[in-house]
Amino acid sequence: MAEHPELLPYGIIREDLFRPLSRAGSKWWFTVTVCFLLVLAGLAAWGVQLRDGLGVTGLNRPVFWGLYIVDFVFWIGISHAGTLISAILRLTDAAWRKPVTRAAEAITLFALMIGGLFPIIHLGRAWFFYWLIPYPNARLMWPNFRSPLVWDLVAILTYVTGSAIYLYLPLIPDMAQLGAHNKPWRRKLYTTLSLGWTGSDREWHALEMAMKLNAVIILAIAISVHTVVAWDFSMSIAPTWHSTMFGPYFVVGAIFSGIGALIIVMATLRRTLHLENYLIKRHFDNMSKLMLTMSLLWFYFTMSEHITIWYGNEPKEMGVFGQRTRGDYAFWFWTMVVVNFVIPVTLLGIKKLRSITTAVIASFGVLIGMWLERYLIVVPTLVTPRLASATSVYSPSWVELMITVATFAAMILLYLLFARLFPIIAVWEYKPHSPEEED
Amino acid sequence: MFLIAEYRSKDALVEALLALKGAGLTAEDLAVFSEEPIEFRKGILDRHSNMSKAAVAGAVTLGTLATWFVYYAQHNYELITGGMPIFSFWATGIITYETTMLGAVLATFFWFLWESGLIRRRDPEAPIPVIGPASMSLRVKCDSARADSFVETLRRTGAIKTERRGK
Repeated sequence: MAEHPELLPYGIIREDLFRPLSRAGSKWWFTVTVCFLLVLAGLAAWGVQLRDGLGVTGLNRPVFWGLYIVDFVFWIGISHAGTLISAILRLTDAAWRKPVTRAAEAITLFALMIGGLFPIIHLGRAWFFYWLIPYPNARLMWPNFRSPLVWDLVAILTYVTGSAIYLYLPLIPDMAQLGAHNKPWRRKLYTTLSLGWTGSDREWHALEMAMKLNAVIILAIAISVHTVVAWDFSMSIAPTWHSTMFGPYFVVGAIFSGIGALIIVMATLRRTLHLENYLIKRHFDNMSKLMLTMSLLWFYFTMSEHITIWYGNEPKEMGVFGQRTRGDYAFWFWTMVVVNFVIPVTLLGIKKLRSITTAVIASFGVLIGMWLERYLIVVPTLVTPRLASATSVYSPSWVELMITVATFAAMILLYLLFARLFPIIAVWEYKPHSPEEED
Repeated sequence: MFLIAEYRSKDALVEALLALKGAGLTAEDLAVFSEEPIEFRKGILDRHSNMSKAAVAGAVTLGTLATWFVYYAQHNYELITGGMPIFSFWATGIITYETTMLGAVLATFFWFLWESGLIRRRDPEAPIPVIGPASMSLRVKCDSARADSFVETLRRTGAIKTERRGK
């Protein structure tokens, strides 16, 4: 394993990083097939919902939000893995970022594409989704710009656009290199997408400038997007939702789950694409430290949120608090605390225990924990509303569960296809600054 | 006409750039081609950029347009707001913010395409050198009358290969 992969000869780096594009093993095809079938199953489930209406879900009065909104917040959170982490590392010029950034940026784009579907799936009559787009409808009324749903639309569209550009820009030089030697259809694809890149200093200068500017802008967008998602809840006066700290709480949770997703993706790529020389222990060590920090921050926010509710003793809020901590949802609540705080702090905080394997274990736990967190924010509040006579129960139907599973399969599928089409690590960023540095 | 010189060392390339600029060529006449970005000290091959100004202009333009649009839409097709103001800057602020950022992103991207020359019509006469992983190429635009002296400069500064293209 290379201690300093950036010092490997460029020819080897290029060969290693371009190799996954030309070979697909049986495991790759098997995984793609399984994921594709699961996505089809999810589409079929959605088809059932479109045909029969939202009644096929577990949603009821007053639980108008369920798994779809949980998934929406979860995937938007995962999207913070990429662009945000990549932008921070790029702006701080962290040298170890090189093999991490593109993998992270791709997560952002795919997670946003998936997360952005949920408000549409949740609409019921999904074919009217375009009513969100600002245009006067038949009654000459424009969309209600005060609605957080419209804020979500604008925020997510901005984030998707920014993330796609942020992923695309550093791909251009790599695609220009790939255009020179490949199969005809690939050659055409790369040549078209690289826009005739020649590698002139003017192009490099413009690219570096654009990347720096975009990194700054994308940071501001990423934070605002998850804050807007948090405001979907905190702008209402439902018990435990009407909280001023929901914005930062959601942003911290998003980065936390995003890092977890990134560690899992990095470990998988390392193993399946044989990138052991590039994704080395140092990268996982640094990501683990980031995750440990976010775990502590998450615990701080969670404790602040709950201790304020408990001390305030407002009856309706205490109803939800009781449901979470010792009622129907207590098992999930304490599981969340264990996997989001106890396990990461133990495995990653104790240096002797910190390894690639423990980082992956902790990351899986964090993903589960952060999904549970969103579930515990959405559902207990809705089943115990302010109007006591309106209390209800909620359990997701097979349609909701199938669609949820399909989104995970979609994420894996998109990632597998991306890793076969484009180098998952920016090759040009690895090149030594002078050819003399090669051996 | 154009001269193409291949270098394997950044220091030699810098020396060549300084010598050519000393001989009266400007940064516009010179272009370096490589498979990776090469950072030069200030004053060697400066490229002016207006990208940050373009980003600000894009941000202000789209943010203003979006705010104006929301204001116009809400005043022309009044919603029933239960006594609340028809137009609220607070609620609109989120849309203004996001569209401002979107304007900055789009302006940066299109300015990058323009400034890098990727969507501009290039000089069809200007040759694009083939660059390998272990080399950097310098393209020089000059009068054919002075070409010999520039070739001499390029060789003296460490060019491993030089060639002339065009008239």
